[in-house]
Amino acid sequence: MKVDHINAFYVAIQEIFKLMLDLDVEKGELRIVEDMVSSKDANVLLGITGDLKGSILFGFPKHMALEMVNIMSGVDMDEIDTFVSSALGEVVNIIGGNALTSLSNYDYICNMAPPQIIVGKYKSISMASERSLLIPLETEIGKFDVNVFLAEAKNIN
Amino acid sequence: MMWKERYRIGVDLIDDQHRELFKRLSNFIRVVQNGEPWDEKLDEAKDTLGFMQEYVVYHFEDEERYQREIGYPDYEEHRKIHAGFKAEVDEYVRLMEEEGFSEETMQELAARFMTWLIMHVGRADQRIGEYARSKEG
Ligand SMILES: [Fe+2]
Repeated sequence: MKVDHINAFYVAIQEIFKLMLDLDVEKGELRIVEDMVSSKDANVLLGITGDLKGSILFGFPKHMALEMVNIMSGVDMDEIDTFVSSALGEVVNIIGGNALTSLSNYDYICNMAPPQIIVGKYKSISMASERSLLIPLETEIGKFDVNVFLAEAKNIN
Repeated sequence: MMWKERYRIGVDLIDDQHRELFKRLSNFIRVVQNGEPWDEKLDEAKDTLGFMQEYVVYHFEDEERYQREIGYPDYEEHRKIHAGFKAEVDEYVRLMEEEGFSEETMQELAARFMTWLIMHVGRADQRIGEYARSKEG
């Protein structure tokens, strides 16, 4: 995994959080983890194929998921229902789309499967024995995690 | 309140319509998410959805006409984005007419509509305003 790949996602997260939620996002210390696990209350998984293959997993705690949807809709939410989970899936989908566009500027052409939303289940996602990178992120409405596993399907340079 | 001042593109006709569109979307979301039993509010949910859908068509036509008037260079691409979104909403409604207006599908549509409109007005439509200003400048 190259820094550029990770950065494409981080920049997209910052841009979309600002645009859709009026939130700044700070990055914490990156960690290598053995397993990609959906351990948060609301998890969104993006499958990437093409020149890069892998998965990106977003994990949000409940209070943050509800607050994000409150910011967008102006309506108070008290549970992670279909409206909340669909809205989170859409936000992550837009982030993924933005990241793929910027990766295409580095000549990595990728596609993305529709986001998969996993609510309140503790489930191991990674299929391969590969390690993934965990990016802890922080906003003024809470902390969330993004797990990135991307492998190059072709060699550039 | 879903409308934000930064959504303004600086063209009164378009800004007023965007504000109205967010208002109708907000009404739809409030009905879908108010916690009342689904069968009791189904008619109201359908009404607010229809009210919103109707305005989308009206607004897209006006916004596209404005783009043509100022010779907006990305008009054709923008028109396709509008048509694509309208077709998507129509398809949701067509499916629900067939399979019934379930609470889950209405919530999914409300979420899709909300995120689409925030992104579209917050980003794509801003470029129309930028172009209009560059012509005046
Ligand atoms: Fe538009």
